[in-house]
Amino acid sequence: MLLELRGVSRRFGGLLAVSDLSMAIGAGTIHGLIGPNGAGKSTAFNLITGVIPLTAGEVLFKRERISGLRPSEICRRGIARTFQATALFREYTVLQNVLIGAHLVAARGLGPALFWSRGYRERERRARERGRALLSSLGLGAVAGRVAGQLPHRDQKALALAMALATGAELVILDEPLAGLTDQEKTETTNVLRRLKEQGVTVLLVEHDMKAVMGVCDTVTVLDHGVRIAEGTPREIQANPAVIEAYLGAEEPGA
Amino acid sequence: MEPRQPAAVTPTVGVALITLAIAALPLLTRDSYYLDVATTILMNLTLTMSFRLQVSTGQINMAHISFMGIGAYTSALLVTRLGLPFWATLWVGALIAALLAVPIGSVALRVSGPYYFLITFAFSEVVRLFFNNFFEDLFGGPSGLVGIPKPGRLLGMTFNSKLALYWLMAAICVVVVVALVRLDYSRFGLTAGAIRQADPVVETLGVNVFQFKLTTFVLGSFVAGLAGVFFAHYRQVLHSSDFGLEPMVLLVVFTVIGGTGSVWGPVIGTIVMTLASELLRELHHYEILVFGAVLILTMLFAPEGLVALPSATRRLLRRLFGRATEPAGARLAP
Repeated sequence: MLLELRGVSRRFGGLLAVSDLSMAIGAGTIHGLIGPNGAGKSTAFNLITGVIPLTAGEVLFKRERISGLRPSEICRRGIARTFQATALFREYTVLQNVLIGAHLVAARGLGPALFWSRGYRERERRARERGRALLSSLGLGAVAGRVAGQLPHRDQKALALAMALATGAELVILDEPLAGLTDQEKTETTNVLRRLKEQGVTVLLVEHDMKAVMGVCDTVTVLDHGVRIAEGTPREIQANPAVIEAYLGAEEPGA
Repeated sequence: MEPRQPAAVTPTVGVALITLAIAALPLLTRDSYYLDVATTILMNLTLTMSFRLQVSTGQINMAHISFMGIGAYTSALLVTRLGLPFWATLWVGALIAALLAVPIGSVALRVSGPYYFLITFAFSEVVRLFFNNFFEDLFGGPSGLVGIPKPGRLLGMTFNSKLALYWLMAAICVVVVVALVRLDYSRFGLTAGAIRQADPVVETLGVNVFQFKLTTFVLGSFVAGLAGVFFAHYRQVLHSSDFGLEPMVLLVVFTVIGGTGSVWGPVIGTIVMTLASELLRELHHYEILVFGAVLILTMLFAPEGLVALPSATRRLLRRLFGRATEPAGARLAP
């Protein structure tokens, strides 16, 4: 298992946003996390990536405990994420956006940035090269020099994914990658996810578009009120009475 | 690096222009008043550039001037009490400022925005009151620390005349400018700007934001300490008010008026405002009122500062004369 959650809980005051959640994600799979609004999906993402601390439980990545580490350290271990409200460096060009997380090739620290040695310049050149190649592979090659804040919605979504991939992550965690996209754009994005899987990148995603989730995911976990109520293949999930109850029952008609 | 700065100003061209101007000045005049103004500009420039280094990550460090003070008092005491040479205390003063910046920055950087502003401001008042009210036989209390000698001899030269002191400050300033411009045009500057725009996103992309901000805080304090040591041996008198709110506000005004978005902003701001300050000398304490008004007008009408005036003017012209000068959006074309 690439990622494992063991009895993870998070309490906000009196509210148990995530309660005793255990789940495991196999390497090279696309794993969906679904559930009605307020089910604790985004909280789970924040707990995995260290953005908020856990109340109980532990998270293991490649069999090492990562809960309690800083988000930056978790990223350097190989987990990158996107945010629900697409978060970019709006004043920077598209290429500069993907350069921020390019740790695999970039030099670290103050010294190289001060002395501009040949090695430093070579590493920066390679980082830009890799950045451009990555952008091209996601259909952003033509806009690499444009200011990120002025991109259309679709391209901003794609850029957020590119920024996460630029870190060299083995696991990318995507918070609603399809939100606000047209049907055709959704198809393009799900194709990108399948291609990532072929390249060996593991994907964990929260998404409300059930058709897309059922079409692209290998495994789906369903949360309701912070509790895991089901897990299985898309086919199993669609037939699960507890899931149907959560979605169509008392909660939210039409969700 | 991609053109994050005005494309015409490459780091090499910018640094060369500044160095040339500094080297040319003594050829134009040796008048001690002008040399004094020029030395003050260079001293202020090391302060505004190191202040802006922190602003570039979104931190408005209201205690920046205190680290100048720590450098100044450290060196003054080491020279007058222990007889150490200026050439040693220059580094010791700056290092002490940097060392103290580690715990202080570690506390202050736990918060951000207005809270950071307030914590650093509170700290600067503590430092000022400390120099003013405690250990009066050491710091001189309200009447100040007097009798600080000039730098003295090094490498067969004596740094006592106005001109020699100008060259000394010029050397310090050029090294600081080269270092900070390089940082700004490197991955370090790119990361700093990203932190200012979206702090949590940078963290999840694998950059330890706290450590990064602390690095800029400590480095900025080191440079402020250098400026402080020079200040002590240049003025030869230190008062706690030299490192109080008023000079700190001037430091902010200089930097903001020049523009914090570009590494060249503080250069423009410091030159223009130090000269203005000399012209407004007659106004005494009302000077800060005028500066306050200028700051408000800048924030309202040119929030990106003087450094952005050329591009702002171009934008205005384009709006007035339509597409005659440049097709809309051409600036952003890949």
